Amino acid sequence: MLYLIIGASAAGLAAAEILRQWDPRGAITLISEEPHPPYSRPLLTYLLSREVRLDQVWLKGPDYFQEWGFEARLGERVVQVAPGEREVRLQSGEALPYDRLLIASGASPRLPGIPGEDLAGVFTLRTLADWRRLDAGLPEGGQVAVVGAGPVGVKAAEALVHRGCRVALVEMEPQVLPRLLESQAAALLDDALKKWGIDVYCNAAPAGIVGRQGRVRALALADGRELPAQAVLCAIGVTPNTAFLAAPHLAVAGGLQVNARMQTAHPDIYGAGDCVQGVHLLTGQPAYVPIWPGAVAQGRIAGANMGGAQRRYPGALPQNSISLRGFRVITGGLVEPEGADVEIVSEHDRQRGGYRRLVYQQGRLVGLTLVGQVEDAGIYFQLMGQQLPVKDLSADPRTPDFHPGRLWG
Amino acid sequence: MKTVIIQPERCLGCLQCRLACAVEHSRAKELVAAIQEQVVPRARLRIYPGRQHLAFPNKCRHCEPAPCQQVCIAGAICRTPRGTVDIDPERCINCAMCAMACPFGVLTYASLYLAPEKAAVALKCDQCPDREAAGRLPACVEACKVGALTYGEWQETQEDKGRALARAFFTSLPASQETASSLPATIRVWRQLS
Repeated sequence: MLYLIIGASAAGLAAAEILRQWDPRGAITLISEEPHPPYSRPLLTYLLSREVRLDQVWLKGPDYFQEWGFEARLGERVVQVAPGEREVRLQSGEALPYDRLLIASGASPRLPGIPGEDLAGVFTLRTLADWRRLDAGLPEGGQVAVVGAGPVGVKAAEALVHRGCRVALVEMEPQVLPRLLESQAAALLDDALKKWGIDVYCNAAPAGIVGRQGRVRALALADGRELPAQAVLCAIGVTPNTAFLAAPHLAVAGGLQVNARMQTAHPDIYGAGDCVQGVHLLTGQPAYVPIWPGAVAQGRIAGANMGGAQRRYPGALPQNSISLRGFRVITGGLVEPEGADVEIVSEHDRQRGGYRRLVYQQGRLVGLTLVGQVEDAGIYFQLMGQQLPVKDLSADPRTPDFHPGRLWG
Repeated sequence: MKTVIIQPERCLGCLQCRLACAVEHSRAKELVAAIQEQVVPRARLRIYPGRQHLAFPNKCRHCEPAPCQQVCIAGAICRTPRGTVDIDPERCINCAMCAMACPFGVLTYASLYLAPEKAAVALKCDQCPDREAAGRLPACVEACKVGALTYGEWQETQEDKGRALARAFFTSLPASQETASSLPATIRVWRQLS
């Protein structure tokens, strides 16, 4: 069997490893556009803050591909997938045949689409090459505007302050981490960000990047304000890498379409990771949830199914952990669920800075936000992921003295 | 793989295991010196008040596959040749992704003498590798006075439990009840537990 995997990050590697268990002798080839061995993308912001060294971002040992018996085609770009001929065409002109193909091509950062994005000093942070550019182009002690206060923007802003930059964090929505937090938890994070010296601009839409002699000078906001900056980092989100799939009609605008077995319309082509548009575990609606744990989980299912298993992916459960200088937030599920019978329990322990918000719908836990004390987050996500009815549990998570011992003890 | 097996019904909540665990995971590995260390040694198992006023010891199960290992973005969590799931404090970035994934809530975040430059790293049971190398029991098991924590193959313990259950069932049958009823209740209960 010839297995081909496009992408060698979270989903691609997880799939390849489980596939090796299912088919010990199959030929497994991983293709990656990036020339480096596999590395951890989420660590790039930590690399930026110099909390980790470059030698700590590699996910696998130096002999990883040989040990697992994988062929690695690093630095090769896929330009077309031809399901009819069962081959994948590379930019080099080479065509690689396959029996089973996994598309785990990931996603690319979006740009806000404003004038001045082509200036020197406008960055994104998604790949190691992006980090190299940003690290080299960072004005020491200068001013940086970070566009987008999502998980990457917030962490990048904190990292840049760590590096001695003056940082303005610009967000279109009225709060930081929109869609992930509700206003009360966002206010706690906002306070922390301001305490570290980050200037947070909410309700601020970027209108353009102002340059002088081809270099960034300032970020202009829609309300007329201008934030002086020698660098602008765009972190407004990602879009699936599916352009090369246009011909076989596998992808829609939201990403690659797959069924619960992570299979596309072509039964021999599977998809996993950030390039896939999945289904929300709780609502059953199409949802794009580009998170690391989701990519690994999807990769494991796709990999096993390529090797002959019959596994099903129940759906993506959004979950994020933001941990900055000891300030911890774990959030997931639905923040503001639509529909009837919604109950929200929230409590704020001002003394210890802890905050807990649980969202219930029809007697099931559907949303969670923890600030400060986050150790038990996984238990709540279990309750959420398995959609257990709260009344059947031996302990009610809504009570203030709830702890895991009450579930098992 | 040998593991620490928990029998919550025996736990008294004395917290001796927590003390022993913290001492084992200190630099000195000795109580008097450990309590004076710069980086306060932390216990890696917790005792919760459970239901019906029973104590409930909770610690890492070294799952296979391990959810924490799958979500670790720093590549800090790996399975050792011993079979345990370990966290490398050198690589841990304190991102709390593992707490998000762990279905048992066993992770804590605190500073560790092995990585003194970091404000906190993820901590959980490593099943005392130094002790295993020396042929000794894990610290918590050695400290447990009531048999709530034991060390062995879980399959064997499972079989023992099955046998105990079967014994308890057969002793509860009417025929044997006549002879058993002459025993005091405490002795009967202990026999069923052992």
